[in-house]
Amino acid sequence: MIISLNWLKKFTDIDMPVDELVTLIGARLVEIETVINLGAKYKDGIIVKVVKAKKIDGSDHLSLTKIDDGGISKNIERDENGLIQVVCGAPNVRSDQLVVWLPPGSVVPNTFLDSQPFVLGAMKLCGFISNGMIASARELDLYDEHTGILEIDDDIKPGTSFASAYELDDYLFDIENKSLTHRPDCFGIIGFAREVAAIIGKKFQTPDWLMNLSPDFKTDISNPVELNVTIDNPELSARYQAIVMSGADADKKSPIQIQTYLSRVGVRPISAVVDVTNYLMMLTGQPLHAFDYDKLVAVGGGKADIHVRSGHENEELELIGGQKIELSTEDIVISAGDTAVGLAGAMGGSSTAIDDNTKNIIIECATFNLYNLRATQMRHGIFSEAITRFTKGQSPELTAPVLFEAINYMSQWSGASCSSKLAESYPIKHEQARIELTADIANDILGSSYVNEDIVRSLNNAEFTIDQNPSQSLVVTAPYWRADIHIVEDIVEEVGRLNGYDSIALKLPTRDFTAVIPNEFDSFRSRMRKILVRAGANEVLSYSFINSNILEKADQNVANSYKVINSISPDLQYYRQSLTPNLLDLIHPNIKQGYENFALFEINKTHPKNNGINDEKVPVESDMTALVIANKNNISGAPYYQAKRILDYACQSFDVVLSYEPLEHNSDDPIAKPFENRRSSKVIDKSSGSAIGIVGEYKKSVIRGFKLPEYSAGFEINSKALFKVTQKTGASYIVPSRYPSSERDICFQVDKDIQYSQIIDAANEGLENYKLISAIMPIDIYQPDGGGAKNITIRVRLTAYDHTLTGDEVSTVISSISNSVIGKTEAVVV
Amino acid sequence: MQNIDDISKNLLSQITDSLTPREVLKAPEFRQLYSVIKTMPVEDRGNYGKQINELKLVLESAVRTRESELESATIEPLDISAPWGINSKPLCLLPTEMGSQHPVTLEIDNVIDIFTRMGFDVIESRQIDDDYHMFSTLNFPENHPARDGYDTFITDEGYISPAHTSTMQNRILISGKEKLESGGQIGVVAIGRCFRNEDIDATHEHTFYQYEGVFVSETATLGQMLGTLRSFFESYYGQSLKIRTQPSYFPFVEPGLEFAIEKPAELNGKSGEWLEMLGCGMIHPNVLTAAGIDPTKYRGYAWGGGIERLVMLKYGIEDIRHFESGKLQFLRKFV
Repeated sequence: MIISLNWLKKFTDIDMPVDELVTLIGARLVEIETVINLGAKYKDGIIVKVVKAKKIDGSDHLSLTKIDDGGISKNIERDENGLIQVVCGAPNVRSDQLVVWLPPGSVVPNTFLDSQPFVLGAMKLCGFISNGMIASARELDLYDEHTGILEIDDDIKPGTSFASAYELDDYLFDIENKSLTHRPDCFGIIGFAREVAAIIGKKFQTPDWLMNLSPDFKTDISNPVELNVTIDNPELSARYQAIVMSGADADKKSPIQIQTYLSRVGVRPISAVVDVTNYLMMLTGQPLHAFDYDKLVAVGGGKADIHVRSGHENEELELIGGQKIELSTEDIVISAGDTAVGLAGAMGGSSTAIDDNTKNIIIECATFNLYNLRATQMRHGIFSEAITRFTKGQSPELTAPVLFEAINYMSQWSGASCSSKLAESYPIKHEQARIELTADIANDILGSSYVNEDIVRSLNNAEFTIDQNPSQSLVVTAPYWRADIHIVEDIVEEVGRLNGYDSIALKLPTRDFTAVIPNEFDSFRSRMRKILVRAGANEVLSYSFINSNILEKADQNVANSYKVINSISPDLQYYRQSLTPNLLDLIHPNIKQGYENFALFEINKTHPKNNGINDEKVPVESDMTALVIANKNNISGAPYYQAKRILDYACQSFDVVLSYEPLEHNSDDPIAKPFENRRSSKVIDKSSGSAIGIVGEYKKSVIRGFKLPEYSAGFEINSKALFKVTQKTGASYIVPSRYPSSERDICFQVDKDIQYSQIIDAANEGLENYKLISAIMPIDIYQPDGGGAKNITIRVRLTAYDHTLTGDEVSTVISSISNSVIGKTEAVVV
Repeated sequence: MQNIDDISKNLLSQITDSLTPREVLKAPEFRQLYSVIKTMPVEDRGNYGKQINELKLVLESAVRTRESELESATIEPLDISAPWGINSKPLCLLPTEMGSQHPVTLEIDNVIDIFTRMGFDVIESRQIDDDYHMFSTLNFPENHPARDGYDTFITDEGYISPAHTSTMQNRILISGKEKLESGGQIGVVAIGRCFRNEDIDATHEHTFYQYEGVFVSETATLGQMLGTLRSFFESYYGQSLKIRTQPSYFPFVEPGLEFAIEKPAELNGKSGEWLEMLGCGMIHPNVLTAAGIDPTKYRGYAWGGGIERLVMLKYGIEDIRHFESGKLQFLRKFV
């Protein structure tokens, strides 16, 4: 919404500098996003008189004119009479006409904001020097009229600046509508001015016509035409008023002054009739609509019988502009008889649109249920100035004064007069709530220290009515235009805002000394991040939504993802089922950027559908930690072990020991989907036996799909599951021995299919009967080319608590280990 | 003509046994299904075409499964329990100096730390929720125009991608009710990911992080709210700060405010420069009521601010799109 400062000034005195005013409005009412200096745009235009205008021979449209600028322009070529020569291409140029002249050196206003504004000069046209130009409404950025120059119909002295004649030395404030959603009154300039007055501490006087809620429509006219209105369901519309006016001159325009005000706040002037409705809407926030009376009678079967009703199933309506819509029962419809002729509050129907031949006009002034209108707005995608205001919930009391004022303007600007009686339906009269308030209540909520007088003063400025009852409490009634005041908090908000929140003393709440226990899962994740960073990985955050083709590339079932139905892009259409696909999608772009060897990880939530829903009936979320490694260089060894190395390291930091189990083929688990089961494993917490995730290499199709280097692998584990197994009690610290350790290496030759863990498990069993501090470490894993056997060398470190182990003791233990391994794996010690 | 079910069964079993499953898609009985379309009455074509397309999707998926099975069969299995591969060497981690934490999570840690020290419990916000928590319990009736300000993503099932962490407010209030009614206070901060259905540019992201605070007691005031927020920012920037507010409108608070701080010295701020940090207000009585808390006895305040804003200000980051880009070029600035 655009607010004009000069328009505000018509209703309240404002004498402070613009920047101070903007700051104050910002602090007390609403943030002003931008301030536009309109004066700069119009500073050069001058109102001049065309003294002579003569068609140029040999040109089909150019005229040579001599203009009188009152002699105010300097450094310009004049003829012997002091007149200035301008060539003009407009068909409507004639002598004795007042027009707007843009002298050489001035910027054409409708190019003012362009990156290269058009600067006029003195140039030759058809052999004649033209000094600047005579401007059209379009060039003046008033409205899209380019068929001729703007004719000034007011009596203005030549040489007067265009800006000062039409109050264009103005500032425009751009305000975001949603910040004032709750203030229907502020969607009109008068309401906004009232608010500004209250903020800057000036008395405000609402214009008398807006305070007269029962104006005399003087409908004792002779031979009135018939007009009836009925609200079929009071839920849909609180009040509907309409009247017929006849005799409008279709050629008449609204005064230029009005046109400039409309266009500066973003409304295009069209004709006197349309301008009246728009002008009053901008002034009061109350939209009006005009129908062609005779067309409505024809559609309504010979009667002007207007109804406000719900749309019917399968009902169609053609809107102004020709768009056909299918109505729903939620839409509010204006009908003639039972035939829909308009979508209430949103747009009129084409069958009753006014046009150049319209003789009799119905002016409608009504309020409609804002919730229905918003549904209509969303369903049909209609975002007009009118519906923007209607969906804020205008007071039904507003319709009478606005309609009355509209009639006045209509007769002044277009010559029309009323030809029907006022038709009205107002089923349930609206009453404002009376709210009891004390200074204590306000102070309890705000932490302020107001006394009753402060409250009365500030509310009086905003035209609230206050009755003081004997118990010292105040009974407050909001003025009729404040449809947003219902409860005591609403009044307290007014008091706080009008007095300025920044004047309230800042305090801290008191609390006891109980220590807050940090969220342990947060601490766990935070530590996990630091560990993975220490392992050289880079943390990423990636979108929770992904494209279906990423799901497919990762071999995940698209149907297992929640689908976003109103996504702005296919890239954001599905909730992700695991983190790995997002990470895989980042590998190729980073390699292309020149990074050869890296690990990416993310700790975040995922939402596969197979998680089901929880007690609150919303989808269960999974907390996951995923990591991918990639190396574009041709290096030997399986990348699986690199990913596993990082996972082992991270879990060791939490004192969690992992074991690895085979991953079944074709698992339905979406986390497992991208992984190649022959080169991946299920990750198990050794002490509890619970599965916490998957580590491995990816399927060939996944590698191709994401253009991964051969050396890529990763893991995805459930953060909550891992967190749970870290919540162990007891310390794992082992008291060190004072005696030296002995180390021996053993090399086992085993069948190539024997797993490393089988050897380690068997070795540990061989240690069981000895109360020694022991450690087993891998030294070498060797398999000759084409051999059916492999050699696994381990190092055993043994330490006793109470003495230095002798060679024989060590040998005994080592052979126990060897025998155990030989027994379990048919190994040969080499 | 064989019926579609028979053809489907037959082709699926062929695919399962085939060594070249994609060839099965070229089977004449399948292609013939397409060729008959032209001969059918126009009104039957749509439905029939749909059936064929569904069959095609089923077959293609079966082909992919079979192909990956065949491919997998040729893949050499690993000793999954070994510390490293055959004939290779012990593995190192990547160099620590290459590692980096994401600046957003770094800042979340920082914010959590301050609020925890101030006495707030911290929870994480949901990333998929329902209308009830996102709107209804927050005093947004259905079709309320204020809903327009929140461009929410909606799923097929009607779930909502929360557009603010306030989606946790009702839960926070309900879980704190008992503590409140036994003489305590509710003090909780919810941090998490939010979504707005809007185009992205240097200053707009459809995915971002917010921190939300909720405080309820018998004596909470707006002055306390402003004091709490100033205290947070003073701790965050390590200096005393001036604050400024602007009235604003959010249906779930009354009054509602925008909260700004004077730009701190750490950010090369000069006097008179203001930074808008967050939206806040006194919790609307309807929001307390929705959680079963008596608004005549208890009052509260709440706020919600953006994490990315803190990060961008702190490091001078020029483009919000870096955060979710996953580019090492950006991430490694934070090693």
